[in-house]
Order: sequence, then structure tokens, then C-alpha cells
Amino acid sequence: MKNMSKKQRNISSDSLWIAGFLFPGIAFLVIFILIPVFGTLFTSLVSDITFMKRQWAGLDNYIRLFNDSAFRQSLGFTILFILVSVPLETVAGMGLALLMHVKSPFRGVIRAIILIPWAIPAAVTGRIWEVIYNVNYGLANYLVSMAGFGPVNWLGTASGAFIAIVLADLWKTMPFVAIIILAGLSSIPETLYQQARIDGASFVRRFFSITLPLLRPVIVVALLFRTIDALRIFDLIYILTSGGPGGSTTSLSLLGYKYFIGGDYGYGSTLSVVIFLCAFLLSLVVIRLGRFSREVS
Amino acid sequence: MNEERIQKILYYAALIIALLFVLAPVLFMISMSLSERADFLGNRYIFTLKHFREILTTESLHFMRYCLNSIVISFVSAIICTAAAGSGAYAFTRFHFRGRIWLLIAILTLSMFPQISIVGYLFRLIADAGLINTYTGLILPYTAWIFPLSLWILISYFSQIPRDLDKAAYIDGCSPLQAIIHVILPVAAPGMFSTLLLAFISAFNEFMFALMMTTDYTARTVPVGISLFQGLHGEIPWGAIMAASTVTTAPVVILTLMFQRYIIQGLTRGAIKG
Repeated sequence: MKNMSKKQRNISSDSLWIAGFLFPGIAFLVIFILIPVFGTLFTSLVSDITFMKRQWAGLDNYIRLFNDSAFRQSLGFTILFILVSVPLETVAGMGLALLMHVKSPFRGVIRAIILIPWAIPAAVTGRIWEVIYNVNYGLANYLVSMAGFGPVNWLGTASGAFIAIVLADLWKTMPFVAIIILAGLSSIPETLYQQARIDGASFVRRFFSITLPLLRPVIVVALLFRTIDALRIFDLIYILTSGGPGGSTTSLSLLGYKYFIGGDYGYGSTLSVVIFLCAFLLSLVVIRLGRFSREVS
Repeated sequence: MNEERIQKILYYAALIIALLFVLAPVLFMISMSLSERADFLGNRYIFTLKHFREILTTESLHFMRYCLNSIVISFVSAIICTAAAGSGAYAFTRFHFRGRIWLLIAILTLSMFPQISIVGYLFRLIADAGLINTYTGLILPYTAWIFPLSLWILISYFSQIPRDLDKAAYIDGCSPLQAIIHVILPVAAPGMFSTLLLAFISAFNEFMFALMMTTDYTARTVPVGISLFQGLHGEIPWGAIMAASTVTTAPVVILTLMFQRYIIQGLTRGAIKG
């Protein structure tokens, strides 16, 4: 009897401790993330424009979104951006990871240098690349002219701006992919390679039959993170092109931001909810995919 | 033998290309910040420090104020966040409670939310609290925003610390809080440091919240300040912008170079377990 009451007391004091330990973090999350998400969901059902009377709109905003050509253009750009940049970044990140993994006396320095673009604020990255793409004295056109071509109007044409954004984003994000893949590389036992070498497998063969298959789960994680991140791209585009020329590089986040700044909270929220749902579904799909590929292999 | 040679040549070729691609933009930024003219490529290079002097001494640019704002806001957010994440991670790794895994997954999902899906409502929340254009108005959402990653990193560190350590402390009559302070913290110091560093860099680099929640130099952070940098007469002062970018980049890059190992450790722990 005595023993049991002591145990009970322990359990209730434990749950007090658990609640106490979890409270600060959870409180922050609830107030500053969860409430705003639900608030956005609610606002998306309201006609809510600065200086105008707020009124219930039901699905009006969603119907408007469905017929909005700016939304369609933005959706098209964002999808194309994901399809082009994420595979590119993953391949480049994998390459960097292989370089960072090789044992050499400079490994620490090489790793640190490769991390630099990741550490620089995206806003600063945007400004650096903005001047690199400058038509008259940028580095990009200097290299282009050295190769014997005329100056390119990088940020002034739709295709030039697209390539410019993909390249700058590649520079900024490949270190992150590299770090994730590097962790996967480090966990592959060295003995596997030694065995393969004894069996006479070339390094190309070793890469495709040992490294790549064992890295698959890690690559899926990298793809997941990058896709969700590419879906919400904002900073770099805000600075490089502000969504131009002619709205051709307006990402979904930038479009939503423009509506908020313009005071149209209802419609901006509708757009935000759609972006949110895309990110949410994507994460579920890719997590499933990752699990599936692991079960198969 | 031959194959090893090819491998070596390929390695060095790839390494040089990669390092060139990584470093070229940074070197271009630094060269322009130290150049008299913006169009130095293909022209004579004239060295000058005037752009740095300009951004550091011109009152109306408020660059020093932006730096101060950024450092205070990021530092305070990182401290609060690491403390909250540390206490949360202790609960997750030391106690078994119902819904533990689901709570963890839910928190992780929060970290994947696009910023745009909260920024509109958050703006009004902060505005209603009268916190627009204040440090607090940024520190609070930053702490929440960085919390999931910090928690995740610390959980992976804490779960590697043997349970026997705090059990021994309990037997000696410590409360859980005392056990954390006297037993866990000393052992988890490197993990806490990684978390603090990553939280600081995340807050320092944040853009969208700061863009929405600040209206002038009283609380505006460096990234936003640099993005709004304009010349007095409409022309773009590239030399000054690149000098400001160099000054902003220097501390984060130095931190990265010094603590590369901690950063890589923290990031992989934050990402891989997902």
C-alpha cells in the first residue's frame, strides 16, 4: 500500500515536471505558429481588405484564386523552379559531399569553405548575385564576353531571370545538401569499399553499386527538405528580380506577400493556405516515398 | 595504380572547379567593396576604403544600428530558444509519456511550414500587441520559428547521454532541474553550443518576418537594411552595398570557419533523424 502511493506520487510529480519542461517551447509554438496558421485559415474565408468592412466570404477567395491568371503564372513558375533547381542542387550537393569526404590534410578547410554560401544571409546573397548579373559591369557578363558572346540581359528577360535565380539558389543551397549527404557517406563502412577494390571494381562501379544505393535514404531526405524549401522561396527572388520581368519570376510566397503588403489579407491568406497545403502534402508524399524505397531495397 | 592516379586528377580538378564556383561571388563582393569604381572588371583597379568609411560613418544610412539590432535580436532569440529546446529535449529523452512520438512529429511538421502561411496573421498579432518595429516583436516569432530545429538537434545529443548519469543524480536527491544543471549541462555543452550557433545564424539570416515587422532603423535587421539600401539620387551605390555585405558576411563566415565541425554536427543531427 505504502509503496503504491509512493509510486503514484512519483507519476504525478513526473507529469508536472514533463509539463514544466515542455511548456516554454510549446507555448512559443502555439502562440506564434499554430494560432497564426489557424488565423490564416480563417482569414482566407473572409473578405478582409484594409479600410474596407470585413465580411464573411465563404469560398469566394478560393474561386477567385482558381480564376486568377497571376496565381497560375506564379504556380507555373514555382513548379518549374522546383523541377529544375532541386535535382540540380541534389547532384551538385552530392558532388560537394564526395569532395568533402575525401581524406586530405585540407579537409577541414575545404569543408569550411564549402559551407560559406550556406552561412551568408539570403538577402546578402541576393545583392551579391544582383551585381554579378549587372548588364554593364557584372561578373556574369564579363565571363560571357570572355567566351566570345555578347552581353546578356540577365535580370531583364524572363528566361535570363529564371536561369539567374536557379544559379544563385544553387550556389546558396548546395552546401546544405552536401552536409546531409556527407553524413550518409560517413556512415558507409570503409570495409565495403576495400572488399570491392579487392574484387577489382573500378571507382565508377564502386560509386554506382555501393555509394549510391546506400545513400538513397539520405538523398530522399535531402530531396524532401530541398523541395519544401524551394516551394517557399522568397528572399532571393524578392531581391534579385522582385518577381519581374512582367511577373514571370513571382514565386507563390512572393505573390502572397504582395497581397499582404497591398492590404488584401483575405486573398493573401487564401494563397498562403494553398502554399501551406502544397508543402504539407509534399512532405507526406516524399516521406512515404522514402519509406517505400527503403522497404523495397 | 593507374586508376588511383585518374581518381586523384579527377578529385583535384573537381575540387578546383567547386572552390572557384563557391568563392568567386564572395571574392567579387570583396573586390567591389574595395574598388573606387564598380566597373573594375577589364579596367584598372583602384583600391579604396571609402565605401567602408561611408557605411560605418554616414549617420543617415543607419548601418551600424542595423548591425546592433541584428546582433541583439539574434543573440537573445538564440539564448531563449536553446534554453527552451534544452528543457524540452530533456523531457523527450528522459520521460515516457503518452503521445510523445506524435508530439515530436507535430513539432517537426511545424518546422516545415512555409513562413508565408503565418506571416500575414502574425503581423496583426504583433501589431495588436503594439510590438511592430520593436526587438521583442522579432525575438518572439524568431524563438518559435527556430525552436523545432533546436529541439531536434538537442534531442539527438541528449539521447546519447547515458541515463545512469541522471539516475545517479536522482539517487543523490537531485530534482530533475538540478540533474539538468549539474549533470546534463556539463556533458551536453558541445551540443548546446552547436544549437546556440545554428539558432543564432538562423535568426541572423531571417528575412521575411523582419521585412514585415519593422518600419525603420529602430528595429530593422541587417538583411532587410541591405535589401533596402538605395542611393540618395536613385542610383545604386554598389560599392557601399558590397562593403555592407562584406561587413555582414564577415562574422557569420568567421563563425563558420571556426566552428565548422559543430555546425556540420548540428545540421546533420537536425536533418538526418527525420
